[in-house]
Amino acid sequence: MPAFKQHPMVPQTTHDEQARQDFVSALRGHLSGRLMPGAYQVYAARVEPAFRSKHGRGPKDEHEVRHAMTEDPYYQFWSAMQRRSQELLWESVIDPTERQLPELIDRARTLGKRGRGKRRGTLRLDPKLVVPKYHTAADIHLQPGGYHTDFTADDVAAGAVYDKGINLYMGGALGEENNLTGDTLLAYVREKHPSLKPRSILDLGCAIGNSTVVWARAFPKARVHGIDVGAPVLRYAHARAQAMGVAVDFSQQNAERTDFADGSFDLVLSHIVLHETSKSALTRVLAECRRLLKPGGLMLHLEIPRGRTDIEKFMHNWESYNNNETFSRYMTDLDLKAETIKAGFAADAVLVDEFAPKLDVAQMNYTEHFLWKILAAFKR
Amino acid sequence: MSAAHEPPRGAKGHRPQVFDDPAVDQLYAAYVAIATELSVAFERIDTLERLLETQSGLSREAIRDYQPNESVSAERQQHRAELAERLLRPFRDFREQRIARANRLSDTGPGD
Repeated sequence: MPAFKQHPMVPQTTHDEQARQDFVSALRGHLSGRLMPGAYQVYAARVEPAFRSKHGRGPKDEHEVRHAMTEDPYYQFWSAMQRRSQELLWESVIDPTERQLPELIDRARTLGKRGRGKRRGTLRLDPKLVVPKYHTAADIHLQPGGYHTDFTADDVAAGAVYDKGINLYMGGALGEENNLTGDTLLAYVREKHPSLKPRSILDLGCAIGNSTVVWARAFPKARVHGIDVGAPVLRYAHARAQAMGVAVDFSQQNAERTDFADGSFDLVLSHIVLHETSKSALTRVLAECRRLLKPGGLMLHLEIPRGRTDIEKFMHNWESYNNNETFSRYMTDLDLKAETIKAGFAADAVLVDEFAPKLDVAQMNYTEHFLWKILAAFKR
Repeated sequence: MSAAHEPPRGAKGHRPQVFDDPAVDQLYAAYVAIATELSVAFERIDTLERLLETQSGLSREAIRDYQPNESVSAERQQHRAELAERLLRPFRDFREQRIARANRLSDTGPGD
């Protein structure tokens, strides 16, 4: 597993803070790699047969699986541990962030001024932006304050906490610069659309720009934009990209309706973002993507598969019920292709694909066979 | 540090109750926190021992600022994995016993 790469916006850790983060990471690796697969075994060996002998049939859907599984002591144990490890994960990152926040805010201001002309990224915030309910109803992934809350002037804490936090979340499997999701979608483009040379790219729901930077590096001649509704993550994204010497234009906008002109982009992307929105927002996001694309432009959304069998669906939805992916349940049986066509794309220009990049994803699986889901659509 | 710089420690949103008795949920939460702090304490002891081996007149600052090198990091990683293993073993054993028992039952049919 590659070590997390330090950059100037990452808070330094003391001896004990680092030990705490390392333990949480080790515990999560153990829980997802060694104990979570056991829930499938327990279901097959005990829960499903018990249901069958009681009802004379197997569970008919994910909800019946849920009722049976949430009574099982092994599942209860795993679920309680998983939830607690997630809470401790954020705590372990908040401590050093809080201690160094004034310095981090100063550093972000300084980094924002670095570079010149085309080599310098930009940041445009909109204090009037209304943060949508799917962010404010509950803090996504249990990160206190979510992506959007400013606790002080020019706050960057949410970004710093998120950067280190998501790295621990996947036990380091997101890569040394949390670049796995960007690399995965980029690998898809290289394989399926090798001649694509976008000159304008938009990354939706970019948070700290960890994937946005991947695209800016891959296509250095392109103008690359990243948008998000969260001001503190965007301030951090801007400073982080500046520190890495990568020019990205970040702006605080809602992907359901942006201020870019029609036909502004060759490529519009998102990385595991759609399931954090709501069903009604999803329809608007897809329509907005279509509006923003040039004719012939490509829309790509990287998503987590939601499971094929009822037990897989139930296990995937652990995140919905226990990790504040509050709205993501709607994704389980959603026909993404139909939604995309509804948003105005031509039926024969839409593809819902599965993709496993030739990258080290062994540690980050939530099922034994991890495949990403990719929604791809061309604008005619 | 002003109060304005203190982000909250808890997330907004409903905290699910896993067990029938909420006290069990709280026990699990405390148990994982204790395990974390135990791991932190182990590493601090390890740091102390290593520094004592190489220098005298040990200061608290030296411990606070100690940076493990690659091989020390690898040893510690191994130690953490072993701690997680020990911590979680009862639950894995419990699962395996239950699965083994279920398999025995289905082999022999009803009437166990």
